[in-house]
Amino acid sequence: APLKTGSVEPAQPSAALTSLRSARPIGRLNDVKYPQDIASPNPALNAAAPMGKFKYEKDFLMQFQNVFVEKPSLDWDIKIKETVGDTPDSARPQSAR
Amino acid sequence: ENVDPKKDGQQLEQITVFHDADNFNVKHPLMHNWTLWFTKPPSGKADNWNDLLKDVVTFDSVEEFWGIYNNITPTSELALKSDYHLFKEGVRPEWEDIQNKHGGKWAYQFKDKRSVPIDELWLHVMLAAIGETLENSDDGEVMGVVVNVRKGFYRIGLWTRTTGKPIPGGGDGDNAGGKGRNAEKGKEVLMGIGRRFREVLRLRDNEVVEFSGHIDSQHAGSSRAKAKFIV
Repeated sequence: APLKTGSVEPAQPSAALTSLRSARPIGRLNDVKYPQDIASPNPALNAAAPMGKFKYEKDFLMQFQNVFVEKPSLDWDIKIKETVGDTPDSARPQSAR
Repeated sequence: ENVDPKKDGQQLEQITVFHDADNFNVKHPLMHNWTLWFTKPPSGKADNWNDLLKDVVTFDSVEEFWGIYNNITPTSELALKSDYHLFKEGVRPEWEDIQNKHGGKWAYQFKDKRSVPIDELWLHVMLAAIGETLENSDDGEVMGVVVNVRKGFYRIGLWTRTTGKPIPGGGDGDNAGGKGRNAEKGKEVLMGIGRRFREVLRLRDNEVVEFSGHIDSQHAGSSRAKAKFIV
């Protein structure tokens, strides 16, 4: 997101980030009804899975790629700057608003 | 007590990120907590390795993994001498870590940097790690995965707890490093992991992944230790 200059309001977590924080871990995969266009995890991988301990194959995991795109914390950009260096975002010109 | 099935059903309604990316109430747990680490290239000054190796983030769900992956520099855009390491929480991605020092790694070097789809391959290796499809449930070997960006190559590695032999404190059972896992089984477990690893890397028949013990690598004075196994 573009940097807001001249504003000192604390940033608010997005709806997606709020959901990520408050969501419960799935206990039983069988309880989940996925939308029709989403392939469920391979049941054979989890035939004897204990509660909440699942294996996921690549094709299932790849379905999330364009679905959860939010930064995983409010201080993400600072954290990345301190550890990895420039983020891909900051390396690109920001669009003016 | 009578539980109204309708009401009960409502309480159990599971809204995933696929149903509503802004208002979901369940997420997909991973079997382990994973920590992503990054090695910064040395700046040329008196760098301390500890200042260069930093843990970036620890996560425990599929959703959070993608939040991280979608907002971090891709491997192909990293400077030379950078590494990403994705390890189980509590394990430092160094051979000196007590949980690594009796172990080893499967590794493959991609020497044609321009033609290898390194971002896709590293992603697939990370997904295989967090999805727990690199080993069987009772193998207990996988510690983490790593990608190294170097001048002449990219290298992807998979670190294991043992080299197929019992380790100090490994116990008596048929577990990684346990006395109850004989040498034949210990090797077979590692070979199985190596085969899955090379499948994820989509190597051609004439390309092999090599396994070497961390201690052997140290004694060889570089990471070019003689391969203990190949697959």
